[in-house]
Amino acid sequence: MNDEPAFLASTALAILRALPVTVLLSIAGALGASLVAGVLVVAQTTRLFRPLARLWIFVFRGTPLLLQIFMVYYGIAALSPVRHGPLWPLFRDPLFCAWLALTCCCSAYIAEVLRAALAAIPTGQIEAALASGMGQMTRARRIIVPQMLRLALPSYGNELVMLIKSTSLASTITVLDVTGVAELVIAHSYRTLDVFCMAAAVYLGLTTALTALLRRIERGLEGGTQR
Amino acid sequence: MTEVLRARGITKSFGGRAVLKGIDLDAHRGDVVSILGGSGSGKSTFLRCLNLLELPDAGSIEIAGTPAPLTHDRHGRARISDPRALNALRARTAMVFQNFNLWSHMTVLDNIVAAPVHVHGMARAAAVERAHGLLEKVGMAGFAAHWPRQLSGGQQQRVAIARALATDPDLMLFDEPTSALDPERVREVLDLMRALANEGRTMLIVTHEMAFARDVSSRVVHVRDGVIESMGPPAMMFGPDASPMFRAFLSH
Repeated sequence: MNDEPAFLASTALAILRALPVTVLLSIAGALGASLVAGVLVVAQTTRLFRPLARLWIFVFRGTPLLLQIFMVYYGIAALSPVRHGPLWPLFRDPLFCAWLALTCCCSAYIAEVLRAALAAIPTGQIEAALASGMGQMTRARRIIVPQMLRLALPSYGNELVMLIKSTSLASTITVLDVTGVAELVIAHSYRTLDVFCMAAAVYLGLTTALTALLRRIERGLEGGTQR
Repeated sequence: MTEVLRARGITKSFGGRAVLKGIDLDAHRGDVVSILGGSGSGKSTFLRCLNLLELPDAGSIEIAGTPAPLTHDRHGRARISDPRALNALRARTAMVFQNFNLWSHMTVLDNIVAAPVHVHGMARAAAVERAHGLLEKVGMAGFAAHWPRQLSGGQQQRVAIARALATDPDLMLFDEPTSALDPERVREVLDLMRALANEGRTMLIVTHEMAFARDVSSRVVHVRDGVIESMGPPAMMFGPDASPMFRAFLSH
């Protein structure tokens, strides 16, 4: 076993080389999901789009992410109009398909977090805005959205942690992210536990960094949080 | 005597229970009207109808000559006919709440400049300068950068009054401004309100502070069971000619 250190070092290097893929998928997924969640929250306040938004949340929150990823990559991407349409360069890319499924799924969860935060804003805060004569847009921008984001932050952070870990499912459709590379190494070396442990350590590092960042933001807002 | 408020026939029910049964009230510039009454008498609901935080079921409201944009749909339910006009109307009034309702995500300074800047379109620099003057006036100079939650109740209410003054409103509505305060904090707020009364602010005050109502008001209104039971200058209301019901209320 004198090639042990060399094996561990080359495995660590291979996994770290895959880190940008996981980070990219996490950041792009977080941005996409947050954006869609924002649209869902606004849509739920209108009579016209509310049913559509509820349906979106119902479907994407109620089905497994793994199935959603399969449906995008093996399902939608296999449809003839897609294969021959202008979007084919996107749908042939497993990374894009994973991102799309991740965005749709996590947007449903984040939308629920935001909706709960919206409902938790004390009525007095909104009444004070009404009494001062603020119009709807001013109220939303100056009072409601900032208060909502503050209330949502802890649960929102939780969703982002889940999202980072969920990116590992992209490996099932050939994306070579941290998990994908780990599986590849295992396929060649038949060494399971230590390789997976290394991959797990990478996710632990990512989620720890995110948690620390969120805690900093929360502390920065402390003066302005609820009594 | 400029008329600042003219409310006529204000009624309001909640779930079939009539809370306001037709209230008329006028106020002229510089009037300080104390609205007294037992809990559940409808006095707070009436005040909240004046800036349409509650929509009255019937009646009309004019503030400084501008009618409130109230209409009724075909089911007879009250509706706002023109949201912009409503905002404009509210912008000329100000409300001080029982629970202060300072915006918790803004510093004291930002609370005060928010309406001048974002509703009235005042330049921020001018609004900030004015805010510092108001903070001085309410005895809170040096607290501009504080967050609401760092202040005591009395301090928060004084900031809320500064916020209300920042837009130089035609009419100030006070909804039990001292009811959520410790006894020793009540005075600092009442003293400030007394100063505002002395400088000619038009104020409607729902309160339980009898001594304040007697000493500071130009008129005392007794609301009972959704109607104005009696009203008059404090000398009359607190004198031997007061209505028996108001005297009974006072003796409680």
